[in-house]
Parts: sequence; structure tokens; C-alpha cells
Amino acid sequence: MLVIRPLQQTDLDDLYAMAQKAGKGLTTLPANRDLLQRKINLAQETFNQRCAPEAGLYLFALEDTEAGKAVGISGIQARVGLDEVFYNYRLSVTVNASKELGVHVRTPTLHLSNDMTDTSEICSLLLSSNYHGGGNGLLLSRSRFMFLDEFRKHFSEKVFAEMRGVSDEQGLSPLWDALGSKFFDMEFIEADMLSGLGNKAFIAELMPKYPIYLPMLPDSARAVIGRVHGNTAPALKMLQAEGFNFNGMVDIFDGGPVVEAFVNTIRTVRDSVNRYATVTRKAVNLDVPAAERVMVSNRSFRNFRVTTVPASCVGIDTVSLPPAVAEALQIESGDPVRLAPLKEKVKAAAKTVG
Amino acid sequence: MWLVRPALPGDVNQILEIAGTAGSETARLSSTLPRQCEALAKKIDHSLASLAGKTTAGGQPPRFLFVLEDTATGKIHGTAGIDARAGNGQPFYNYRRDALIHASHELGISSRVDVLYPSHGLTDHTLLCSFSITPELRNTEAFELLSRARILFIASHREWFAQRVAVEIQGVQLADGSVPFWDSLGRHFFNMDFETADQYSGRLSKTFIAELMPPNPVYVTLLSEAAQAALGQPHELTVPNLELLQREGFQAGCYLDIFDGGPVLEARTDALHTLVTSQPKRLHGASEDGGDACLISAGEGARFRCTLANVADTLRGRLRYP
Repeated sequence: MLVIRPLQQTDLDDLYAMAQKAGKGLTTLPANRDLLQRKINLAQETFNQRCAPEAGLYLFALEDTEAGKAVGISGIQARVGLDEVFYNYRLSVTVNASKELGVHVRTPTLHLSNDMTDTSEICSLLLSSNYHGGGNGLLLSRSRFMFLDEFRKHFSEKVFAEMRGVSDEQGLSPLWDALGSKFFDMEFIEADMLSGLGNKAFIAELMPKYPIYLPMLPDSARAVIGRVHGNTAPALKMLQAEGFNFNGMVDIFDGGPVVEAFVNTIRTVRDSVNRYATVTRKAVNLDVPAAERVMVSNRSFRNFRVTTVPASCVGIDTVSLPPAVAEALQIESGDPVRLAPLKEKVKAAAKTVG
Repeated sequence: MWLVRPALPGDVNQILEIAGTAGSETARLSSTLPRQCEALAKKIDHSLASLAGKTTAGGQPPRFLFVLEDTATGKIHGTAGIDARAGNGQPFYNYRRDALIHASHELGISSRVDVLYPSHGLTDHTLLCSFSITPELRNTEAFELLSRARILFIASHREWFAQRVAVEIQGVQLADGSVPFWDSLGRHFFNMDFETADQYSGRLSKTFIAELMPPNPVYVTLLSEAAQAALGQPHELTVPNLELLQREGFQAGCYLDIFDGGPVLEARTDALHTLVTSQPKRLHGASEDGGDACLISAGEGARFRCTLANVADTLRGRLRYP
């Protein structure tokens, strides 16, 4: 069974192995034991409420209970830009017009911005490649929206995600080469690594602060602004299905887009319903396609857990859970749970049942 | 004999001939000289009003236009102007080339970034402008006379002019007529080539065009290589002019032309070589040739004349002139 739960100390080795395998694309999870340990500590402090909930880093592990190991990670940064400066470029338009000259020219322009400051970010998604498919990625990503929904007061009304921008197999980013590297004599990979190690704000401070007029950049760089890396296209599609949209901000290094949504309009949030758990002795076939499953969460802050069950388990007021599932969620009969469809299709079914 | 005198309404056609059709070499070299009959006539009227010490409607600061005349033929061979206050009551636009250090203590990195800042710093300085001369006279005495006569004019009407004086030198233009700096920057905002923008500039005022440029600083490193190479470089045809101005005491500072990236020269008015070395003298006839070639000017306002002659100095401030 695959269960979402808070990241814990024992996950370090699994996490490190995953980060190593993922390579250099994932800057938020560099293969660096010290850094990963720090993240685990931070997540523990957050769930144990030893720091202000608004300042927390909520990291979840996807655990394969049979194998007893973490096979995925996902996270929510409650607020960005509070203890360092959070930078983006805002893609806007400068219009240059004169009736007398018959001139009306629109110039796309990048403005350095801190507009995302104090906003919640969903981040750090990584799923072990052996577990791709079968809705595991959806569980890993969407369980976060259930958490956001339950504990809205700890998060901003709007949440965003930074999507990885375009770079080639050698790790060369056209935007970095045309812009960042002119101000900062460093390869993209190196800068990206540094930024994953927590130096992003330092690097950003070396970047140009005045507006950048896009016509002054080569076509290769202009073409990737607001575009995602091929590997990230499925993640973008998933977020778009949840109601996330490009908000006009792009990453200052690789030009990847920022997508955002108001928590109350996120599909998973809108489609969530409350039930009470009933532990059933009846045999339940858990192995059904992703489209026929629903996510079920235990509604706990400190020990937030989510797994999936067949939609057929959902009743009018209750949801019937086999003992193994109840154990994985650490609940008993009568405990409140919250349900949300794993895939969009289930929505209709859940509604009918509800 | 070469004579520099104030431009008169009757000179319009001849001046237009020198200013040439748009795109010609001489036209290219003086964007501040109007190439339309009406605009030129207005400029001459303004100059005459300024020479008479009158302020024109709209309270525009004085502007002067002089011509180089061959007295033997009455033909005009060049023009030279002075704007008493650069910008003529409007902002005067340049780029100021300056540096920023992008540094990080944490990363142990510090790098210098060159930036062009839009600037009005030279507004209200006195500006030498509208210089044009027929190509065959370039590098001759007449060329020097035409350029320096203005400084003698300033010397004899010092109270009309500012403490500092500037000259814009035309920047790099390639053989095919393209201007690398414009193509890398201004072109993006106007969607027109340099020649077209330059014509508008002559007709509508440079300030008008400059105000359509983006108001933000520009990173030099993002300009094309050709544009970066052209920054502060004079057009090769202006080199004699540049050298003459340098002998006069002008120096290139941090200002650049906003359209072509050409250098802007600056000097303290009271330190100009011609102004410092000029002396008031009394003129006398002389029976023999000889003496040194000198610029001689006389007359106030509209009666100002300047020419070049061999004169012999005498005691008690008198000049002998053959």
C-alpha cells in the first residue's frame, strides 16, 4: 500500500538515493546528505509545531508500506521570501506609441519582482521512477491540496508552483546563456546547484535589476520564456487540471513559468467531501485502476496521512475501510476522514455516491 | 575670402543644398540641421531674433546659425550653430555610461556591469551644433574657421552662454547605412531604421524622439557586439572635427548620443582654447603682406563677422591688415 505521511528521520537514505537518481534537474532536492537532513529536521519541526505554522516547510513522503521505504516526496513551503528575498521576472509589456510618427510598438519586457513574497508554494515533488504510473504521482501531488484545504489558515489564499524551464541534455539553458551568464560568470548547472543549496537569493542579487527588453535577447532565449522542460510537461498538465494557470512570472534563471491558483478553486479542494471511517471485515479489492479510486485522509495535522481506496467503499455518511487501510491511516471506526477523487473522472461517481 | 556670418532668410535654398537630400553623407553628419525649407526658415528667424537680443514667442532660449560664405562668389559652403541652452527649454537627452558592481559577499564574487542611464545632465549647457560643410573643404582652413568662429562669437557675447559647453559627435554608421547602436537598441522601440528616425528627429526635435525611448537604464552587455564596439566611437568622417574640438579643449566624458552611441564632448566655456587666446585689438590697414594667419571677428549680434587673414601684430593692441 502507498501512503502519504510526514517526512521522518528514517527517510534520509531513501531520499538521498532518490535525489542521486534524479540527477541535476531537481534543484530543490540536491543529492546532499547534510542539506536533506536539514530539510527533514525542518519538516519535523513544522509538523510538531515547534515553529510558527506560517514559517513551516511541510514535506511529505510517499511510503510503500510493504517495502517499508519512502518512494516519493512532495512539499509545501508555507511562505516564500520571508527570511530571504524571493525573485522572479514578471513578463510584461512596454508600449511605445506616437501618433505623429505612426508608431505603436509593444515590447515584451522582464521586470525583476518579489511579488510572490508571502505566498505558499507547492514544491519538491519527486517520485522514484519504479513507481511511475498507476496514479502514484497524482496521489503524491494532490494529497498536498487536501492538506492545504484542511489547514488553510496556515497558508496564503493563493498558492503557486515554479515549473522547471527549458534546458538541454548538457544542462545548458538558453535563457541563462543569454542573460544570467552575462552577469554571473557561471554555467547554468552550477548556478542551479548553488541555488538548490540555498544560495538562490545571493545569485539573484547579482542578476540585472533593471527591466530586460526581450528584443535585445537572442531568439533562442526568447523562445523558452514561460516554457517548461519536456520532463515537466506532465506535471504542468496535472496542475492545469487542478485549476492552476500561468501568472506571468518566470524563473530568473531558466525562464520556467510560475503557475498559481486560489486554494478554494483547486479542483481537489472543491471536490473534497467529509465522511466517517467504518472499519470493515469484508474483503475489499484495493487493486483497482486509478480512475476508480479516491484519496482518503485522516485530517490530522501532526500525522497527516493519505492513501487511496476504491470509490466503491464510499457510502452516504461513511467510508468502509479494510483494517490494513485504517491502520495505515492510524484511525479507528468513527474517526472523521476526508475524501477527494484521485483522478477527475471519479468526480461524477463520488458525487453520485455522496 | 572665407567669411562666417549669421544665416539670413535668403540663404535657405543654398543651405538646403549643403544639408543635402536625406541619406547623403553631409546630411548624415548633421541631424540637428533641418532639411525642410519651412523648418530651416524658422530656425534662421529664431537665430536672427536671438542675435537681436529678442526673446521669441514661447520663450525659447537663444539659438544661433552661421554660414560660411565665399565672398568672391557669394556662395555658401557650410553651416555652424550654437544652442545657448542644450534642449532649448526641453530636456536634453543623452545616455550616461556608468558602472555597477554586482557583488556578493557570501559567494565571494564581484563583477563590474556597464549600464547606460538616460540622463538630462547636459540640459542647459551650451551646445555647438548644426555643423555642416561641403566635403571638399573638410580639413582646410575654412573648415577650422567655420567651427572656431562660433567660439569667438561666444567670447564676444559671453553673457548669453552657459558655464559649460558640449558637442555631440556623430557615432558609427556602417557603409550600408546601418547604425549598430540604433539597430541593437532604439530600433526595437520604433520599428524604423536609423535614417527614418533621424529624419523625424530633424523635423520634430530630438527630444520628441528621445522621449519615446524606454526610460530605464540599459545593460551594455545585452547590446550586440557591434553596438558595444560602437559606444563612444566617432564616425570616421567626423575625426577631423573631433580632433579640432580636442585641440579646442573638449574632452569626451561619460555621455553618449541616445541614438547612435556617438561621444559627447564637454568643456568649460571659459577654458576653450580660442576663447582664452583671443584678444581684442584695433584694426589698421597695412601696406605689406605677411604676419600670422589669424581668426578675426568683429561686430555684435547680427553684425557679427569672422574671417581668416594674415595679420601683423603691433604694440598697443593694434593689428595691421593688408
